[in-house]
Amino acid sequence: MLNFTIRRLNLLFFTLLMLSIVSFSLSYFFPGDALVNLSGEINADQQRTEQLVELYNMDKSVFHQYTAYIGQIFSGNFGISMSSQVPISDELHTFLPATIELCLAALFIALIFGVPLGFIAAIFHNKPLDKIILTFAMVGYSIPVFWFALILILLFSITLSWFPSSGQLNLLFEIEQVTGFKFIDILLSDSEYQAQALKDAFMHIVLPAIAVATAPMTIFIRLARTSMLDVLESNYIKAAKAKGLSQAHIIYHHGIRNSLVGIVRLIGLHFANLVTVAMIAEVIFNWQGAGSWLIESIFARDYTAIQGGLIALASFTFFINILADFLYAALNPLERHKKHGA
Amino acid sequence: MARENIYQEEEFPSPIRQLWYTFKNTPVAIIAFSCYLFLVFFSVFGSFITPHDIVENNLDKLLLPPAWNDDGDVSYLLGTDDLGRDMLSRLIHGTSLTFGLSFVVVFFALAIGGIIGSISAINRGIKASFLNHFLDVILSIPSLLLAIVIVAILGPGLGNVLWAIALVSIPQFVHVTHNAIKEEQKKGYVLIPILDGASETRVLITSIYPNIIDKVIIQATLAQSAAILDIAALGFLGLGAPIPMPEWGSMLANSLDLFYIAPWTSYLPGLAILLTVIVTNLVGEGLRHSLKIQKD
Amino acid sequence: MKVKAGSVKIKLVNAVFMLIGVLLLSSCGKVSNDSVLTKGIIYCSEGSPSTFNPQLDTSFITIDATSKQLYNRLMDFDPTNFDKIPALARSWHMTKNGKLITFYLRKDVSFHQTDYFTPTRNMNADDVIFSFNRIIDESNPFYQSVAGKFPFFQSIKFSELVEDIEKINEYTIRFRLTQPQSSFLTNLAAPFGVILSKEYADTLLAQGRDLTELDSKPIGTGPFKYREYRSGSLIRYVKHENYWRFDVQIEQLLFNISPGNTSRLTKLLTHECDVIAYPIAMQEIASRKDLVLEEVTSFNVAFLAFNTQVPPFDNPLVRKAVAHAIDKKAIISAVYYDQAEVADSLLPKASWAYSKNTNTIEHSQEKAKLLLADAGLADGFTLDIWAGSIQRAYNPNALKMAKLIKADLARIGIEVNIITFEWSTFLKKLAKGEHQSVLIGWSADHPDPDNFFSPPLSCASLATGSNRAMWCNEEFDQLLKQSLATNDTTIRKKLYKQAQQILAEEIPLLPIAYAKRAQAKVAEIEGNILTPFGGISFENVNKKALQ
Repeated sequence: MLNFTIRRLNLLFFTLLMLSIVSFSLSYFFPGDALVNLSGEINADQQRTEQLVELYNMDKSVFHQYTAYIGQIFSGNFGISMSSQVPISDELHTFLPATIELCLAALFIALIFGVPLGFIAAIFHNKPLDKIILTFAMVGYSIPVFWFALILILLFSITLSWFPSSGQLNLLFEIEQVTGFKFIDILLSDSEYQAQALKDAFMHIVLPAIAVATAPMTIFIRLARTSMLDVLESNYIKAAKAKGLSQAHIIYHHGIRNSLVGIVRLIGLHFANLVTVAMIAEVIFNWQGAGSWLIESIFARDYTAIQGGLIALASFTFFINILADFLYAALNPLERHKKHGA
Repeated sequence: MARENIYQEEEFPSPIRQLWYTFKNTPVAIIAFSCYLFLVFFSVFGSFITPHDIVENNLDKLLLPPAWNDDGDVSYLLGTDDLGRDMLSRLIHGTSLTFGLSFVVVFFALAIGGIIGSISAINRGIKASFLNHFLDVILSIPSLLLAIVIVAILGPGLGNVLWAIALVSIPQFVHVTHNAIKEEQKKGYVLIPILDGASETRVLITSIYPNIIDKVIIQATLAQSAAILDIAALGFLGLGAPIPMPEWGSMLANSLDLFYIAPWTSYLPGLAILLTVIVTNLVGEGLRHSLKIQKD
Repeated sequence: MKVKAGSVKIKLVNAVFMLIGVLLLSSCGKVSNDSVLTKGIIYCSEGSPSTFNPQLDTSFITIDATSKQLYNRLMDFDPTNFDKIPALARSWHMTKNGKLITFYLRKDVSFHQTDYFTPTRNMNADDVIFSFNRIIDESNPFYQSVAGKFPFFQSIKFSELVEDIEKINEYTIRFRLTQPQSSFLTNLAAPFGVILSKEYADTLLAQGRDLTELDSKPIGTGPFKYREYRSGSLIRYVKHENYWRFDVQIEQLLFNISPGNTSRLTKLLTHECDVIAYPIAMQEIASRKDLVLEEVTSFNVAFLAFNTQVPPFDNPLVRKAVAHAIDKKAIISAVYYDQAEVADSLLPKASWAYSKNTNTIEHSQEKAKLLLADAGLADGFTLDIWAGSIQRAYNPNALKMAKLIKADLARIGIEVNIITFEWSTFLKKLAKGEHQSVLIGWSADHPDPDNFFSPPLSCASLATGSNRAMWCNEEFDQLLKQSLATNDTTIRKKLYKQAQQILAEEIPLLPIAYAKRAQAKVAEIEGNILTPFGGISFENVNKKALQ
């Protein structure tokens, strides 16, 4: 396990190193002055500019500039937004939790529906039910999320009035922002309408989470199906059958458990896909998350915010990746002792 | 015909040909493949067969509903948009933008990714390890996020979007080629030309490539369906094709304001994207299925 | 060990299902009796304000969000006949020569009490004097804290006009002008002439706080007070309990910032917004029973402004050629769905100074081509047209308008690139004059015709960056000044006619349409929100209880 941990942490370190280099070099790639792109201070006067040059080592070599940049990042200074002049770290603190909340809700939905559907498809391999589930998976995988989201809104918000179409919470509920996670903030708040707000927040997350979950869910259906089929064809299942155990017993006690292990490993890999979808869905559902914030920053040519957003979103996906790896290793002892990681 | 029968046991169709034999026996796959060819046809000749001009405004025919509606006009089969432009013509023309360009993008990404993958497969040690780590990093960044950042550097526009998506698609081809070559290198048949004294490059080109091309093509179909979605998504976000171009994603975004007055202007581009991606995925699925059957 | 892990898992799964169950069950309950929801109004606005003080910005987004919600002015406009009526000033008096204006103030006006400021006294003369002194006195720290940028007051040359402001007694003040100006009172009643708290300013100074807080954490006398602002997302106002005019009916006023036209409409259809700015699909709204569509004739004009300082539009012939080539009627039907009139002058027809017989420019491709040939550009050229991405009162869809113009200009051999930016970036770049031409417009702040000429086209506005044509004409400026110096309406009308003729010859900008301003709300909302001038006001609004 120690070896495994070291290898993963090594990968994480390397990844973050690469990411910070990419992000740092962006300030040179973006149009305009590198110092302004790094700091976001477009209205700095002479004196302030000198301070910034000092802060970011802009008068020294590129390597020194890079180390200064890393120093700033670690002290939580991502510069300020070029368009709103608010510190990027503050904006991230507001927007990133919303994205995480949406992604986790979507992941939950994708897993809780995708995996059982995949298992069912595998159990009824090559039967009509299998075909139906596979067709559904194919359509769900191919549907452009921005279009699907619109249809969801048209159907469930406008026609049926079941769910609200935008935002995270009815704005009339005044909930103080502590963690940025709406559900946690509501639970922390001592307002008299806590229960109502909680319910309202739940109603708001349903449609975006479904829209985001659909594509990853279809992936999980296929993964679960393949994984289960592999397990069902393995020798120990044949042995179990030979012993005369019932089909239900075999699937419940051996099939599901063993194929779940394989799926956990792949969650990490497909999480990047989920974040991508979430970015677009945020725009359509007016979800005040890091994705829609980042896309707005591009329209506003807010390069400092783009850098910050890239670092935040990419690191978030990495951490989930690594987390999934650890979870997999915890569930699957074989993985821990492998000499070379996949 | 007769000859084939006589020398049957001596015929060794290439892997790609074997793949085709199995593929054409799968009805769904072959239907999807015909649709795919149809889309390719539209992409190439679309601009010649469109019934109406796609940019010219026709102010007498604003927001005509599709022909099956009571107010529809048969010469505008799928209706018109808010500037009186024929939806059908724009959708057909858009094929070359959304679908056709995704094809080109994937082709480039495949070529470059294939070369890098081959080089990395031949080399060993620190270089390959660095490359692998690097690719892992790139692969775990959400592709659209990366594309968006590249677009932010280059500025919005269809050309820049294509560069961005091509760049984003390269790593997966590097990965696939690299792994496939590594796998083949372990097999015995590769040893024979090496013993004959052939160079590593020559072995790669004459022996290994024909045996991995099927895997690469399957990856290409996957990459293409992702590329279509990405082009459309960036177009939808207003970062891609400029305003009058009938790229499906930006058509959809432009018609959002009409969502409640003229729903067909939003439904149709979305459907076009959906069907195209399904077709592409089905072709890929068919190929993968055939490959699996072959292996068994 | 294994069994234990399994049971923990099962318990977890059970807990999750129970949570979902509870949430689903509770969602069936009715919400309608909740005071938080029924006593608050959500207004979906089209953009973020750049400041909370309308002294500092002329954009309609800022005015809508701040002017009549947070503040009051000395006078207001009567909504029907556009006369000036008392507000913070009980009455006023102007001497015969028009140089001395005395205001008698109300005594019962209290400022907002918030968590960042507690007032100890009511509004008095000091507050009024402070509010205007910060604009004219360059040594005032609150002049310096915003670098003297008061765009509206700069464009009317307020600091040159006002010699001093005198305190007669606690509730009486007197403006002394260097010369009479016919639009002076109207300018003070415009949404920019808001009254700030001197006590708050003094507190900021005394406590050494950031002086820009005067404008970013506002204290005013208006019906609502500032609670919270999240850039790009929301503004939260709450009721001002001691509002001097009457008891405000609603507890909370939310500005939900939603730049997308479709998203605003969607939120109205789902009743997530009570009121939305600039609705689209008006037929759909009008056809629904649960929604109400309102329209007011608003004093505005949409135009295509040419950057007269850079080629090709430094040449009047090219401007004229483009003016001839554009088919305004087609624009009215395609962009405004006939909810507008063709504009032939900068001044709307409703203004008393509008004169019918200024030489208009007819739609003619032949003339356009001849003019282009005269300008030596017969072979055509490439041109950038900038168009804003959000809906404005004067232009519901600038991008669509740009597309139509692109097609028009293609016929005379001009190739058009349509360029757009996010709105605040767009305005910043326009102020710097980076454009070749831009589709924009002007909404009047008050009924005086001068408001249509000085802010968008005077030489003074070139300096403040609100002159989209980057145009400065001595003769034109002179006419505007002469007109302001007199109170005689016939003379003023004549002078404005001459000014309009100069515009018709020089064409620094091409007027395109006069639009109506529309707004949609859910049927439960009572009271007028739209006003003809100076944006919206929520002070009279109430939300009926749901049945």
